[in-house]
Amino acid sequence: MLSLKNFTLHNGSKKLIDNLSFDIENGQVLSIMGPSGIGKSSLLSYLSGTLAPQLSAQGEILLNQQPIHAKSIQSRKVGLLQQSPLLFPHMSILENLLFAIPEQMPKQQRAEQAHQALLKLGLADKACAMADQLSGGQQARVALLRTLLAQPDFLLLDEPFSKLDPALRRDVRAFVLAEIRDANIPALLVTHDTEDASAMQGNCLDLKPFHPANKA
Amino acid sequence: MSLSHSRWLASLIGLLLAFPIVIGLVGTILPAFHYFPPLGEYQFSLTSWTKLFSQGEFHSSLKLTLITGIGAPILSLWLALSLLAWGYQKPIFAKLESLLAPILAIPHAAIAIGLLFLLSPSGWLVRIFSPWLTDFQRPPNWISVQDPYGLSLIFALIVKEMPYLLFVMLSSMKSIKARQSLEVGQALGYGRLTLWRKVLIPQLYPIIRLPLFIVIAFSLTVVDLALVIGPNTPSTLAVTLLRWFNDPDLAMRFVASAGAVILMLVIVFTLAGWEMSHKLLSLLTRAERSNGRRCGPSDYLLRFGAFLGQFTLLLSVVALLLLPIWSFAKRWRFPDALPSQWTLDNLSRAYPLLMELSTNTLTIATITTLLACGLSLLMLESKRQSAGTRHTRHIFDWLIYVPILLPQIGFLFGLHVLLIYLDLNGDLCAIIALHLMYVLPYVYLTLQGPYLAFNQSYLQQANRLNHQPLRNYFKIKLAMLKPPLFTAFAIGFSVSIAQYLPTLIAGEGRYSTLTTEAVAQAASGDRKQVGAMALLQALFPILVFWLAQSLPPRWTKWRLACKSLFLRLSPTTSQTQKDRQC
Repeated sequence: MLSLKNFTLHNGSKKLIDNLSFDIENGQVLSIMGPSGIGKSSLLSYLSGTLAPQLSAQGEILLNQQPIHAKSIQSRKVGLLQQSPLLFPHMSILENLLFAIPEQMPKQQRAEQAHQALLKLGLADKACAMADQLSGGQQARVALLRTLLAQPDFLLLDEPFSKLDPALRRDVRAFVLAEIRDANIPALLVTHDTEDASAMQGNCLDLKPFHPANKA
Repeated sequence: MSLSHSRWLASLIGLLLAFPIVIGLVGTILPAFHYFPPLGEYQFSLTSWTKLFSQGEFHSSLKLTLITGIGAPILSLWLALSLLAWGYQKPIFAKLESLLAPILAIPHAAIAIGLLFLLSPSGWLVRIFSPWLTDFQRPPNWISVQDPYGLSLIFALIVKEMPYLLFVMLSSMKSIKARQSLEVGQALGYGRLTLWRKVLIPQLYPIIRLPLFIVIAFSLTVVDLALVIGPNTPSTLAVTLLRWFNDPDLAMRFVASAGAVILMLVIVFTLAGWEMSHKLLSLLTRAERSNGRRCGPSDYLLRFGAFLGQFTLLLSVVALLLLPIWSFAKRWRFPDALPSQWTLDNLSRAYPLLMELSTNTLTIATITTLLACGLSLLMLESKRQSAGTRHTRHIFDWLIYVPILLPQIGFLFGLHVLLIYLDLNGDLCAIIALHLMYVLPYVYLTLQGPYLAFNQSYLQQANRLNHQPLRNYFKIKLAMLKPPLFTAFAIGFSVSIAQYLPTLIAGEGRYSTLTTEAVAQAASGDRKQVGAMALLQALFPILVFWLAQSLPPRWTKWRLACKSLFLRLSPTTSQTQKDRQC
């Protein structure tokens, strides 16, 4: 379970988010919605350990009751999926998947896992293809499986469907949800689209702009 | 400009670009085979080649050129990549970035003179450790500059090339989505330096390939830097060739031409070898990239490189600070770290000479850069119009790089023959024309991205509102492109100020600039005067860079304020107009 306790976000002297707390169970997706500039993506950055230096934030991050907010990004075991699939263009699809699999695994097992992922994607014949030879939907799926192959403890999704056309969106959403449930890890989705949020079949949190009067 | 006009203009500019290249090449290659009508040689022969290969100095110069010309780009690339990998997105790196522009703007000769003041046996580096640590009361008998192995030359080349490569890399960060890739990679558990090695550097290399080639060609052929800080027994091949070209025995000119052809071949083979080595390295490291290892021992190479890179930048800044110190030093005995007495006499004594040199330098740089800006705009407009219809890569993109990839020595001597035929030798126009060949590529390349990315809808809308296309081009398009135009001007200006050989060859000594005089006097031992020249040489480009960064954001505000003031002061302005301004 991923928990955030008493999260507060400042941009300089301006408070963006005040005292936000939530829990996400394994296999569940919490969707965060709200207007642009409210601090949704900064919340993801805080969780992943990449908050921009001009922002400041406090709050406790607990993963299975263990605090992780003091850990570096590398040791947090967080999976991050962004708007752009960010498949490395100088590597083949297979190499992109292998890149994510931990090195401690025997070589044979690593190759087997990558192959299984390709089969799952229906891209077994495209192992040696480069990223730009895949469609947008295929790239999004490869990006998700690459993230999951690194065996993250939780997943952060930063509007990963926003660049896909409506028909493709439905398919990719279903694929993502199925994979999260299969991996049984908590996930946090940031989106502007109510359909994205409802497709994830989990709780939804609608962030409102912070105003001191609201608090009072 | 209609499409037919643009094609006609493109062909004309293409011819103008190709003409000096062809003449320069022909003027180098034919004398190499002993065919040179101005000296009454009409028979082809291989005599100059046999003479060249029998010169012992040629072989030692070539060896030294290969060591310095290949060593410096490899080290510069390593340090630049390491600095970037270590510091990208770190707050301290932003401060280091701010050092890049002044170092880039300062001519090579000024930096070389600064390094001479820093590294020589009586230089500042020895002074600060003497006598308390070294016990030296007199400068030691070391060869720390102009050393026979070319180490000081390699260091001077790194000081100039590393910031340039870093600058080019930083401008490519967006196109390889560096920030996002680092986030995704780190989330996968990878260390920062490993990610640079496995993910970002392989993507970055194809983008910086051409600037890297320019750096390699420059390192192999540089003259002014090598004259100031390079070895002279033997010197690098380019410096040896310059001496042979200027030899009173005219027969040496044929040998020098053959040597210049060899230097061209050296560039071609070095670039081919570099590219093959890169392909081989990519092939060998390909499997390692996806082996899942989150860190590796070669990360230490980047860590160490970052440390050396910072140290190099620090030394560059100290070297530059020594220029004004020497200019104002009255009494500075060894081993004092600072002058014991200061004076303005050095500058006032050199005032008449400095005024003449500054006037020549500024006139040549300003005219050349304005011409380069105008020509670049014509070329880019022509390219923009043809890009949508036919080509993706324009003929300009090929021709523009040729002069900066060819060795100046030889190529310029080939062109000099043409100048003599045209009776333009020693003329200001000739100097400007030769400068233009080297300024134009940098101005064009700086403007290319912003100009072609300009949203034409603004101009189309302006033309719909007020059908005066030429006026709108200036008042809308160029006005909106002020920041890149000013930056391009500053870069072109600093490139022109740095030119040594083009001024020397076209000017035939009748026009001296701060650069030619500083290089000529670098070995004179009068550090105070040389310091003053190098200081001015460094000061002008920095001033223009500062103006290029400061003016555009304030331009509109100041323009409106001036307009308003003018209207208020003008007696013919009606009260209504004045009220409108308020």
